[in-house]
Parts: sequence; structure tokens; C-alpha cells
Amino acid sequence: MDEEYDVIVLGTGLKECILSGLMSTDGKKVLHMDRNTYYGGESASLTPLSQLFDHFKQPAPVDDKYGRPRDWNVDLIPKFLMANGKLVQLLVYTGVTRYLEFKSLDGSFVRKTDGKLHKVPADEREALSSSLMGLFEKRRFKKLLSYCQSLDLDNPAAKNKDDKKIDPDNLDATQLYTEFGVDKNTQDFTGHAIALFLNDDYLHKNCKELIRRIQLYSGSLARYGKSPYLYPLYGLGELPQGFARLSAIYGGTYMLGKTVDELVMEDGKVVGVKSGGEVAKTKMVICDPSYVPHKVKKTGRVVRAICILKGKVEGVNNSESLQIIIPQNQVDRKNDIYICVLSNQQCVTAKGFYLGIVSTTVETSDPEGELQIGIDILNGKDKSNIAEKYVWYSLIITP
Amino acid sequence: MEPVMASGPPNYKVILCGEYGVGKSSIFRRFMNDTFTMETGKKSTVGLDQSSQLFKINGMDVKMSLWDTGGMERMSFIGSSYYRGANAALLCYSVLNKDTFTILSQYILDIVMNAEGAKIFLCGNMADCDGDDKVTEADIENFIRECGDVLSGVYSISCKENEGVYDMFKDMARVLHEEAMGRMTLRKELHVIRPGETPEDTNHHKKKCCSS
Repeated sequence: MDEEYDVIVLGTGLKECILSGLMSTDGKKVLHMDRNTYYGGESASLTPLSQLFDHFKQPAPVDDKYGRPRDWNVDLIPKFLMANGKLVQLLVYTGVTRYLEFKSLDGSFVRKTDGKLHKVPADEREALSSSLMGLFEKRRFKKLLSYCQSLDLDNPAAKNKDDKKIDPDNLDATQLYTEFGVDKNTQDFTGHAIALFLNDDYLHKNCKELIRRIQLYSGSLARYGKSPYLYPLYGLGELPQGFARLSAIYGGTYMLGKTVDELVMEDGKVVGVKSGGEVAKTKMVICDPSYVPHKVKKTGRVVRAICILKGKVEGVNNSESLQIIIPQNQVDRKNDIYICVLSNQQCVTAKGFYLGIVSTTVETSDPEGELQIGIDILNGKDKSNIAEKYVWYSLIITP
Repeated sequence: MEPVMASGPPNYKVILCGEYGVGKSSIFRRFMNDTFTMETGKKSTVGLDQSSQLFKINGMDVKMSLWDTGGMERMSFIGSSYYRGANAALLCYSVLNKDTFTILSQYILDIVMNAEGAKIFLCGNMADCDGDDKVTEADIENFIRECGDVLSGVYSISCKENEGVYDMFKDMARVLHEEAMGRMTLRKELHVIRPGETPEDTNHHKKKCCSS
């Protein structure tokens, strides 16, 4: 370890592993360390199931109450991959996709003011039969969609001839909606369930970001069918491992279970990393916030509830794995509530059990109460579907 | 879950396990393109860590995909994802270095924990060399006895002299295939998605036949 490296990476979370992999393939000499003895940091998938209970300092269930413990691979912070998104492109580009397998989610749903869950249509047929909006509104919405899909954002000069009057450079999102005459409900649905904006700040920003996100959603949906979302088999923890492997086969050195004592600084610049009395020299350090607690500040909190479910979620056409978005406007909030349900399809739960996670950005002094509407959806009409529930918070941190 | 009939020949994933420096990558190299290099250290493993070959077993094409560690075991745990779905693990040691042999029981533990149901094979590399502290036949027999019946095959090879390498893989393919046939189940595969690979692609993989 007493050597000089081009870069030292601390922490084996997904971002750190991607960077490590890319830099190694680029010929850089990389040293990658983690204080834990496993890969992934906070994005490691917890397995067997007892690890989940350990994490929340609860006694583990006995007698395989929730199926085979080893069948569980629990991600505390679930994230879906857009089938056509940058991460998937990166997986293909780097070849890391050869280490991984994915499943597409069964569906994406949105909750409307009426309290019902509506499927985000995945094709023309579903769109026609959808109860999300009325017949005439559907036509207006369709025009908006086709406009967004046909627009070449990289080449705005080649604007769709029929839409000469629309100039995306000079329109904000609200104005774009107005151009197509879609109502408030459709705006909510488009901005939150398709473009996946977490709040309404985007409405007064240039509309190109909205268009780009709509394109990403449609492009992803077109790839594998039922929903635009992919999830890695055995959990998200497989992703950092894939990139770590890429880094290793291109010469990256891995050290797990290494406590980092400090970053060695000279004249305000980093010159090395000290661990166990040894110093590895470098001019560049990349690390996750937990390695430099005094150099970051918190800007917000996210509250999450993780639930083990005994059966499928009601009102979602028998979907086993899905996302439900509750747009903020529908429930008088500023930030959306997200629900994600995963199953044995993704090899993250034991057969017959489901994992439901509700999350949102904390707005009040009763964060758990903010999740209640999502919890109720998971628990079902007779309030008995949730077998275990744990609530926790994570900080939003910036440098 | 929709089980679908898999297309193409049955594919068995085999992972290489064992201490740093026992010649796993040499075994991998022999498997991949039948070459050998005296280069040691990380350079010997650069860039490639997966390779597939076809074997003819009882008149049927059987594909074996061999996974190399990428040298990750040198300083740290290789990661659970390496073990996922492995049908077999090839436990490697150097006959010249007893330590690489005695530590194998730990590797067996890792395999049993992370690759449920994988068959375990034992392989002593560098069998052509002479040394003071060689692993003896008695050592191996003791080990086999201690392991109970977890080992599905025991081999002695030399990658440098290319002795026994091909026969070992062919034998492993036979054992894996016969066992799979014995279970006589329809081959069911989860309908999984590999970004960048269309279903057709999997059939177009270069079908280099090892036995030709």
C-alpha cells in the first residue's frame, strides 16, 4: 500500500465503483478502499434476511417465518434503472452488463385525487382504455406526447414543421402545457409520473428538461414492454460489484475492511490517504461523504418506511413489482411520495412475500405521518398486509 | 415468473476459486485460447474474465462459461455477485505450496454460502514442477475424506506443459451435464434482461468448439 496511485477511491458505493471502473479502463492506477468488509456501502443489498433485522436492531424472526432467509436481498434505498437511461448505457458501454441480469417491473402507477391507482399506460391500447383522463383530454395529451417524442433536442433547428409556432428555447414547462391545452390533472401526471419530477419547481423552468425526460420515459418503455424500469436480480448491490470487477480486471487494487485514518493534506491539497499507519500517496481522492464528515453539510431529510408484505398490493392489476407515485398536488404536499414494491421476480424476497418501501422528502415535524397514505396502500383494505414495518431517515448531503 | 425454454446448448457457469498466484488465470487462459504466459502479477489477468467453450458430451453440445476472479482475491473478498448462479466451482491450488491447499476448506465455505448447489471440483496446478514441500497424494486423500462427498472431481494439471487441462474441463462438462440431465427437469430460465443483448444475440455467440 506504500505506493503512489493516480487516484484513491474511498467507499465502494455505486458512484465510487463506476468512477473506479472507468478510470482503471482508462489506464489510471487506482487504489479502492472501503472500511466495510463488503462492497456497496449503503447500497449493499442486505442478505440473509436477519441482516435487515440487525440493521434496525430487532431480533431476527425464527423458523423461517418469512421463507428462506437467503432468498432475501434487501435494498434499503431502492432505485430503478430507466431501461434507456445513462446507467444502462454505461453498463452496456463498459461491458459490465455481462455480470448482471435484470428484470423489468410489471408496472408503474399513479394515485389520483379520487384515491384510486391508475396504471401509467404502457402502450396505445392501455392509453385508450385508461381511466386517467377523458376522451378529449386524451387527444390533447397524445398531441403533447407526439410533439415531445418527435423533437430533436440536439438539433432544435430541425423543429417539427407542424409546430413552427412552438419554440422550446423560449417556453417554460407551464407554457408548453398551455400550448397543448392539457388540464391540471394531465400536467400533474405528465410532470410527476412520466417526467418523474419530485416537486413542481420545474413548471417555471425551460421546457426542454421536461421534454428530455418524457423522451427518456418513452424510449425506456419501448425497450422491454411493461414498464420503463429495470431492476437487477439479487438487488442493487450487484451494480457496484460489477463495476468494481471491471476496475479490478483493468488493474485496480481493492482493499476492503480498511479503516481510513485521515486524508493527508499539504498546502490545502490532498497528497495521500493514511490507513493503519501507512500512507498511500496520490494527487486525487474520490470518496463518499461519510469519509469526510466535516467537509459536507446537510440540506434535507428523506423519510422511508420499509415493509415486509404478506401478499400482493391491491388495486394494481395483480402486478407483483411496481412503482406507485403520489404526486404532491394530489395530497397537498410539496414533494411526491414514492412507493416501490419488489418481489421474488427480482430475487430480492422469498417466494410469496413482497417488499414495499415508501419514501418522501420530509416537510413536517411528523415525517412518519407523511408516509401514512403510502402505508395504507400497502396495507390493503383490511389493514393486514404489512407483516413488518421499520421507519428511518437519511440525510441529503452536499459538499 | 414466466419460465421459458432456453435456446441454444445448456450453459454451465464455472467459477475459479483459490489463492492469489496458484495459476487460476493460467487455467483461464488455457481454457480461453489455449495459450500460456510466464507473466505474473496483475498483468496476467488484464481485461478478460469470462470465456465460453462448447464441449460434445454424449453427442450433445454443452457450453461451459468459465469466470476468472480478476485478481480481486489478492487483497479482499471477491464479492457475492461472482458466485451468483454458478453451477460449479473449480478449487485451485498450487502443488508446490501447501498453504494454498490447506486454506481450501475456507473457500468451500464461501462457495456453499454464496453459490448454493454449485458442484465443487479440486484442481492442483503446476503438477510438472518439483519442490521440497509438495502437496502429496496422502494430503489430497485426507482432504477428500474430510470434505465428505462434496467434491465432484479431483484433477492434477500443468498449465505450462498443457497437461490434463482439456481433459479436466471435458470431464467437468460431463459431470455437470449428466447431473443436470439426471434431474431431468425442463431447463427453465427466468426471463431475464441483459441490456445491450437482444435475444438473438445469445444464439450468435461465437461457437468455438474446444473439441475440434
